[in-house]
Amino acid sequence: MTDRPVTQCSSPLRLCLWCVPAVLVEIGLYFSYRGHDARFHFLTHLFVGASAAFVVMAAVAWRRHRPVPYPLVWPVVAHVYAMFPDLLFTAGTAHEWWMDVFLGHVSTHFVPGRNLTWYVVFLGALALYLATVQQLTRPQPAPTA
Amino acid sequence: MTRRWTTGQRLAGVWLVAAVGFAALLLTAEITRSPLDDPDQAYQRPGILDLGALPALAPPVTADIPAPGRPAVVFFTRPGEAAALCSALAAARLDADVVVVSPGELPGCDDVPVVTEVTRQLAMSYRMREPAGGGAPVGYAVVDAEGQIRYRTLDPTAADELSEVRTILEAL
Repeated sequence: MTDRPVTQCSSPLRLCLWCVPAVLVEIGLYFSYRGHDARFHFLTHLFVGASAAFVVMAAVAWRRHRPVPYPLVWPVVAHVYAMFPDLLFTAGTAHEWWMDVFLGHVSTHFVPGRNLTWYVVFLGALALYLATVQQLTRPQPAPTA
Repeated sequence: MTRRWTTGQRLAGVWLVAAVGFAALLLTAEITRSPLDDPDQAYQRPGILDLGALPALAPPVTADIPAPGRPAVVFFTRPGEAAALCSALAAARLDADVVVVSPGELPGCDDVPVVTEVTRQLAMSYRMREPAGGGAPVGYAVVDAEGQIRYRTLDPTAADELSEVRTILEAL
């Protein structure tokens, strides 16, 4: 058996280190919602924001022929954008319909199936990005002479 | 022997972890609901005026609430929830006429008028939604100075979230 402790440990460690801020931000966003019932609203904007991010990430990766850097940061940024009116609400500004420019902030709560629908969309968008990454990282056959 | 995962297997693993993890979050949100919550959480604390069939004319709760030219907030509560609400209302001093409606007798609510009605007729006339566990609604309706209901929601923790009521009042 080949002994490669450094190589095998460093990759996941690097992954975790840059994941930590993204996960901490998500935890902070979760606790920015008051009341147990607000979990519904948190999840809607998380699923919608992350889904939009995955689609954009897939397009960017496909165009650049390589996976996007820091893939957890993109969904977090999109989530913050989608939930921005909720931050405004906490600061004392009620929701208005024009706030749908934030990835359908108001309307997305009322789609049939509610959060279950967005969960399915989220998993589909994630699958799209992962399939794109797999396609880009697939070993290319050696060119024939 | 170390097993080497293919890229496809690792990516499928990421997808699977996300699917299970977020399903657990969804399930948690579902099973931690209170019987006083709205069966459809999209309608609970939506934060936007004139949702659905609103605005609609507000039926009178007392002889002078709602009054022309003054916004009003009609709180629907139950005897078990009333003490916390009344205490919070006394501290909050909302810039509106406030009234509390309860299906059972209350010992009083500071200087806030209380309407007791067993039949829940007022809750029905305000089209308050029925909680997931049934029974009288716990929440509130906000009426503008023209006597129109502009916002209504179930909110079993309204006593802790009167800042939201103030936000809605300022948006009228």
